[in-house]
Amino acid sequence: MFKHLIRMGAAGLTLVALATSCSEEQQFTSEKRDAKRVDVQVLNAELAKVRDYVPLYAVIAHRGSTFWAPEETEASWRWAREMGADYLESDVQCTKDGIVLANHDENLKRTTNIENVFSEAVPTSRVDFYMSLGFSRDDAEKQYGRDVAAFRPFYTLSYYYAELLMLDSGSWFNETSLEQARPSFAANSGYFDKTTGKIVYSDGLYISAIQDQIAYAEGKRLVRDANGRRVLSYKVKDEYKGMTLDQIYNAIKAKGQYKPKYMDFIEYDFANAYEADPQDTGNRPGIYVEFKESWLNPDNMEQRVYDALTECGWNIIEKPATETAFYKGGKVNVGNTNGKVILQTFSFDALRRANDIFKGRVPMCYLLWISEPAYATDIAIDDPTGYAAFIKWAQDNGAHIIGPAISGAPNNYPEMNAPWQAYMIRKSGMINHPYSFDSWAQMCKYMGYYNYDLETEFDDLLRLNIPATAYTASGYPSSVPVYMDGFFTNRTEMSLKYMIENGFRGNAKLPNPFHAGQYYDNSQANVTVPDAIQTLERLGY
Amino acid sequence: MNKYFIMPALALMALGAAAQDFDNDPTLQLEKQDAKFTIGARFMADAATYHSDFTPLQSGASISDARIRTSFTYKNWYLYADFGFGGGKFAQKNIFAQWSNGTHSVKAGYYNDPAGSMARNTSLGSYHFISRAGSSNSLGEGRELGISYKYNTDRFMAYQGVFTENQYNKIDAGFKGLTIDGRYLVRPIIDDNQTLHIGVSGRFAHLGGGEVYNNILKKTYHMSQSLETFVDEDDQFVTADLDWANNVGSIGAEALYHNDKFFIRGEYFYKHVTKKRDTYSLMIDAQNNIDGWGSLEAWDNANKLRSNNFHGGYVETGFQILGSGYKYNKCDGLLGGLNGKALEIVARYNYTGLNDLTDGEYFNAGRGHYYAAGYMEDWPGTGATSVGGGNLHSATIGLNYSFNKYVQVMVDYTYHRLCSDYHPNDKNFHVGQARLQFTF
Repeated sequence: MFKHLIRMGAAGLTLVALATSCSEEQQFTSEKRDAKRVDVQVLNAELAKVRDYVPLYAVIAHRGSTFWAPEETEASWRWAREMGADYLESDVQCTKDGIVLANHDENLKRTTNIENVFSEAVPTSRVDFYMSLGFSRDDAEKQYGRDVAAFRPFYTLSYYYAELLMLDSGSWFNETSLEQARPSFAANSGYFDKTTGKIVYSDGLYISAIQDQIAYAEGKRLVRDANGRRVLSYKVKDEYKGMTLDQIYNAIKAKGQYKPKYMDFIEYDFANAYEADPQDTGNRPGIYVEFKESWLNPDNMEQRVYDALTECGWNIIEKPATETAFYKGGKVNVGNTNGKVILQTFSFDALRRANDIFKGRVPMCYLLWISEPAYATDIAIDDPTGYAAFIKWAQDNGAHIIGPAISGAPNNYPEMNAPWQAYMIRKSGMINHPYSFDSWAQMCKYMGYYNYDLETEFDDLLRLNIPATAYTASGYPSSVPVYMDGFFTNRTEMSLKYMIENGFRGNAKLPNPFHAGQYYDNSQANVTVPDAIQTLERLGY
Repeated sequence: MNKYFIMPALALMALGAAAQDFDNDPTLQLEKQDAKFTIGARFMADAATYHSDFTPLQSGASISDARIRTSFTYKNWYLYADFGFGGGKFAQKNIFAQWSNGTHSVKAGYYNDPAGSMARNTSLGSYHFISRAGSSNSLGEGRELGISYKYNTDRFMAYQGVFTENQYNKIDAGFKGLTIDGRYLVRPIIDDNQTLHIGVSGRFAHLGGGEVYNNILKKTYHMSQSLETFVDEDDQFVTADLDWANNVGSIGAEALYHNDKFFIRGEYFYKHVTKKRDTYSLMIDAQNNIDGWGSLEAWDNANKLRSNNFHGGYVETGFQILGSGYKYNKCDGLLGGLNGKALEIVARYNYTGLNDLTDGEYFNAGRGHYYAAGYMEDWPGTGATSVGGGNLHSATIGLNYSFNKYVQVMVDYTYHRLCSDYHPNDKNFHVGQARLQFTF
């Protein structure tokens, strides 16, 4: 009996040892391995159809450009359009009078001279401004009191759009980007002219409204007067005519849709605010609009964007595009297709509310960020399980694109587009639009150059065999794992050059990663990149 | 006359000693007049192999326990101390003094909480499985510093005491807390061959210690268990930290029956944790930017607090194929371990429930948070009250063989089925493990 037990024990220990040595896969956690093991929700057919509205290998001009010109201004977006970017990217904020701004920061101190124009209090011209619209002093002063109560110094939501047009949105760039500074970016600030009872706008670059951004994408520019000040008239909306400010305030409050600190009773004449840009060369990019912090904007911000797009004829739900070609005769034509608008957000609330309104019928990018400690909308557990949970959340709320941060100078963002992460995005059938590219090295890294002809563990989904074109620098086809399907860039000129020289653009036979066996043809895209500086000069900057 | 009193008392004390952490009386015993000193040791080495669906566990071998134990007996007094150095770390185990006349006993020092569970009061050296049932580890309690009184007869045992949270005054802030508890048994059957005991236990603990953040004392109650194994004691799968815990109420029920060849025993645990915080101060501290809360109500809605309830239990059974039969330790109301050459097969089912979920809340594994709205929200907070500590079903079969009263080998296989929002890819775990243990 004893010997038998000893034998059994020895056999048991041997089995344990064998099992231990055989279970190498169980020895440690590997994100690379887990990325292949974790189930990822796949985009359904309805969302996949909308995904295909978006051109592959799109060059998305981040804020127009943060490198060459003051971001999200007429200068940066006209430049990006003329350079041949596929999309003009922006962020949306809301003014006190409900105008949807295309501007990044909710606090205007960084990108305007607001601290020089206004104090930390409600603009002193506010009562006069109200009176210039036909309201009595008593009425205006009463509203001024309410404005004071809801005031946040230098925050977008505290100012009327007309007031913000007094600001200079270019000088700060000259002070912080010395090498790219241009005298034409600076401006004389505006002011309230008590003699005429009118706001006089500044004479340079402005905080943009989303209507401005769309106009630039359409090949237009601002209408300006002889002094270089934009022409944009405004008046009380018809529905509020004859009412006092007190009555307007209560009427807005009664709507209950958003906080009455937003007094959206003013109408701006955007219809006559733009003219054909004489420097337009025919590119028609789309726009890529980001919903920002939900708590800093009205609850119906997404509806406001929907309405603004409709007003401009850019809402494909209300007015589907008839063209499908992303490029025509060497010009960008995305702005004439159903891919003309892409929405984006980090915000859980904005994503959900946008889905309620747009219902997944307009391409939506869900952006990823991580920090320590995790911010309210960050992915907090950045492992394959957490990544898959966020991909599912994005799809369940009508997103078609994932936008992960990438590492590298000068931004040094956290890496959220490692090969295993790009692999999971591809597994989900969603488009991968990482942000933001500033260097050639980043393009080499995320477009596979560093793994040229080398096998990687994610080749099954990410390797792309790119046939050579007449513009391919090496003259040969290439085989690379590609960790993006388009990207946000501050260097449109560099990104286009990379794509053209490496066969991603101007190619009739790019394998389509979303439709096996099919080609993606962008041979009609522009294959020569204008000089960045000369383009700025041609545009008058 | 004195001799006739002392010798039974020594025998009783020896029995008492055996029940604390091992069943075998130490071999090295020094006796002088009416005093006796013993010194002994215990050693356990485990080998284990794990297979999981997703999260890896570290298969291998480890020294699970290595311990030196000492005791000193003098008349009605019994003094005991043992010290562990398993895992390469020195650890204080039991240290206590006990006075007893057989029916009444008073014990003071650092030792197992009477209501901590039948399993936790049973020495691992006397246990019939490689690990105690998971629910007893997560929902039961271990050693505490305090004093207890026990009334014990053949038919009844009433064992109650007053304790503090831990043995060292090393908490960051606050005081050490106070625990009042008791374990009560009735034995309808008790003779040389078989015993049936049925019992209840109750425990109330007021948590005293915690950490101070921004001048606010934050007390956290921790519950967890491993996958009933010692080689990889990872407790991430079944774990809950309850911030702002204030009082912990526990009730339990237990039953044990054995005869010579067979035993069956089980316990049920229920735990209720109340919470308390300085809401106003927390809200004021959170008013640190322009996106402030505005009102206490707004903060409170975004940071809801509620009490939590958890429960679990296990049933264990065994059949002795050869050996001298199962013995009951009346002194402590526990089943004894194998004694002498013996072979047994054992089986166990355990359930641990550390999920206390609120209906309608949404969990996202990328955030590691629940959301009260049923979807993720940006700000001001989740408002969620769910605790997703994990529910675990575990089934174990085992084979134990003792060569003699000093040396024993054990083999267990356990299947675990996990339900945890934090580990959506982990459902099934297989644990095979073996142990060599000896005591002297």
